Amino acid sequence: MSGRVVRRFYWDFEKEERWLNEMAAQGWQLVRYSLGTYHFERGEAGRWVYRIELLATAPRSTAGREYLAFLSGTGIEAVSTYLNWAYLRRLAAAGPFELFSDLESRITHYRRVLGLFTVVLAALVAAAGGCIVVAGDSGGLVLVVPLVLVATAGAGMAVQTARLARRVRSLTAQRQVYE
Amino acid sequence: MTVDERRPLTETIFYVLLSLGAPLHGYGIMQRVNGLTAGRVALGAGTLYGVLTNLTERGWIRPLTGAADERKKEYVITDAGRKAVAVELERLEELLRNGRHAVQEGWR
Repeated sequence: MSGRVVRRFYWDFEKEERWLNEMAAQGWQLVRYSLGTYHFERGEAGRWVYRIELLATAPRSTAGREYLAFLSGTGIEAVSTYLNWAYLRRLAAAGPFELFSDLESRITHYRRVLGLFTVVLAALVAAAGGCIVVAGDSGGLVLVVPLVLVATAGAGMAVQTARLARRVRSLTAQRQVYE
Repeated sequence: MTVDERRPLTETIFYVLLSLGAPLHGYGIMQRVNGLTAGRVALGAGTLYGVLTNLTERGWIRPLTGAADERKKEYVITDAGRKAVAVELERLEELLRNGRHAVQEGWR
């Protein structure tokens, strides 16, 4: 079986999902993910549909294992987990594959991702502040590179946080009318 | 009857309760609801898991003991769950009555 390793980074898990499904449609099936590294195997084109979920609990905790076992009972395979992110797939033959079928649960999931991003964003802002203080004290330019990195990551994160917040607002407005 | 029990149920909750007259596991519930609605309601597994947890905590359904494997864990409706469905039916009948009346009377 031939394999392929792709290094990429996504801020937007739904864009990431679309890309994984484009790959799967071409016969490249994700079999493992770890920080920015996607391992694909060659297989039948269009066999699987992929979804990404931020789990409420760590995948190896009791609650996390129970949830993944429940999913497996409905034909959903956990291909890979990374921190609390789960890369899931189901046979395309089983029909359209959505993890969440009502507004309530979609909002809950977006809020979970939003919560994570808010924490990371706060950490990045703190890190950037730390860089500036240290750089100011030493009067040196040593910290310019880490500062630029932190600022770039922070900007990406801020854009995503704003996007998710808009998404949650729009779904919440819908929920006032529809279930 | 508490105020809480008089609130409208979501479609997902209503159909999950309806499907559990006899014990079913997660996948069985998804198929049952899909069949009841002629394919209109396709429950997502993530949504269903949350609903099963919530309804169990409420005491409207209960897991059957003996299935340690989450894949095979079956649930069944309780008396409290049946009562919730009955209350909801009354509300739905009122909606239907008033809705039909308005439409048939030409919105006067």
